[in-house]
Amino acid sequence: MKQSRTSRTISYIIVLLMLALYVFPLFYLFNVSMKTQTEYLLNPVALTEGIRLENFAEAWTKGSFSQYMWNSVLYTGMSTLLTLILSIFAAFPLARRYVKFSTLIYIFFLISMYLPNPLIPQFSLINQLGLYNTQTGYILLKTTGTGIAFLMFVGYIKSVSRELDEAAAMDGCGYTRYLFTILVPLMKPILATGIILTAIGVWNDIIGPTIYLSDPNYQPVTKGLFTFYGQYMNNWPLLACGILIVTLPLVVLYVALQRFIVGGAMAGAVKS
Amino acid sequence: MYPFGKGKARLIPYLYLSIPLLLYVVFGFGPSLVTVLFSFTDATGVRGQEWSFIGFENYKTFFGASNAGDRLDAIGRSLYFAFAVVIIQNAVGLFMAILINKKLRGDKLYRAVFFLPVVLGVTVSGLIWQLVANPLGGPAQSLLNFFGTSSNFFGDYNIAFELIIFVQIWMYMGYSMTIFLAGLQTIPSDLYEAAYMDGASGWKAFTNITFPMIAPSFTVNMLLSIIGALQTFDIIYVLTGGKFNTTTLAFDVYATAFGSGSADYGLASAVAMIQFLFVFTISMIALFYLRKREVEV
Repeated sequence: MKQSRTSRTISYIIVLLMLALYVFPLFYLFNVSMKTQTEYLLNPVALTEGIRLENFAEAWTKGSFSQYMWNSVLYTGMSTLLTLILSIFAAFPLARRYVKFSTLIYIFFLISMYLPNPLIPQFSLINQLGLYNTQTGYILLKTTGTGIAFLMFVGYIKSVSRELDEAAAMDGCGYTRYLFTILVPLMKPILATGIILTAIGVWNDIIGPTIYLSDPNYQPVTKGLFTFYGQYMNNWPLLACGILIVTLPLVVLYVALQRFIVGGAMAGAVKS
Repeated sequence: MYPFGKGKARLIPYLYLSIPLLLYVVFGFGPSLVTVLFSFTDATGVRGQEWSFIGFENYKTFFGASNAGDRLDAIGRSLYFAFAVVIIQNAVGLFMAILINKKLRGDKLYRAVFFLPVVLGVTVSGLIWQLVANPLGGPAQSLLNFFGTSSNFFGDYNIAFELIIFVQIWMYMGYSMTIFLAGLQTIPSDLYEAAYMDGASGWKAFTNITFPMIAPSFTVNMLLSIIGALQTFDIIYVLTGGKFNTTTLAFDVYATAFGSGSADYGLASAVAMIQFLFVFTISMIALFYLRKREVEV
């Protein structure tokens, strides 16, 4: 369809203005992270006078980010892996109706969104099980087979031909082997989306660690950054470095898996 | 028909399914139900302390005369937050999706950048805006100074809450946009060509083709953002910690149970129940109208 030149120009102007609203804060963050404290205090808004990568080293040590970072990697890696496996365990039989009451179980999983906030009894339970302030407990809490990855997988598996199951079974392939050697490779695009969305959720959680992990040695990097913010509220160049340190790993993962996000977000969303 | 064998082999899917099911019942569904029970008790976070059923006492305390004003304010702010976020986030998200769907040059870059705050997360996004809105000479303050005024931003009783709403929308607009974009891409372009031949374009094409055709993604976006906006409070925790008149029901649940010096699980559960009533009622009404609209078109 032909579009008038003015309408395209206006579209560009609006999109670029919006882009500025997203890029400017990030650019400003980067600019501040390169300044010395004096430079920042004299004029926070001016461009930095030099590139000071040593600010990052200072922030890394002062904020003990190595411990926090390791915790985040551990929690995010373990919970994401377990979440993906459990989501496949739940999604495949329900999508195929290989178990009784499939629809009912599916709805049972879905209603969790509407139910009362489970936070308080959940906390009491974790406490009673002796899992409060433990890494195992936190990984367990962040693992679910019935979350967003599950919803996306159900939608996706429905689009995988049923005949494939039958053909594989005829050849003597068992259920477990089918899931991991035939189905999983077919699910690559949606797995990528599942990985990134699950990982984002675990990595970025701030309330979870605040409630469940009081020991700084066990806290992830979001909580570490927030503590760092409390300590160095007046030293924004150092703080800006801390923010960038926390941001970097996820941005790298995001850039690597970016092309899967649009398709995946939709596949899960509409079919639910 | 289950193709992977009979007898014991038939039980494997049940066995595997039972793991996520168990996790869900123990850590999700179960605790949700127990919240109802807790709301009628005087349970506290103090170890070993006895608790008993006290009827509707917690609900009476919540609406009690001494702090009724504060509580009603929190309810009002919860609704204000939800409506503002749902309407603005979806309107802007849809608008941007339509613009980007015009095959502008660099569309992939725009998409990636608008989604970026979701990746950065609430702590990072919150602190970035704290930096931009730093009252001591940050860029937002410089801009206001240029117009001869100034503000305390997140430390200002009058606008702190609106600023939180702004940051929330800034964070999730890209998510709504992404879902709308996927919906828009399913519309065949000959529909627009036909409409164009009939002399319909611009607003008319939007109301007659675009809007009806994206009904499913519209429903999804509305529901997700209504539920999300009524339940979220991490953004408040990060930006103001509930100070400067920025608490909502969701934040109150957290603060009453786990806030400094407070561990009233009974009362916090009662607040959670009141929050639940709002989430349930509003999302059911929304679902009813959204589905009705989908059927009509």
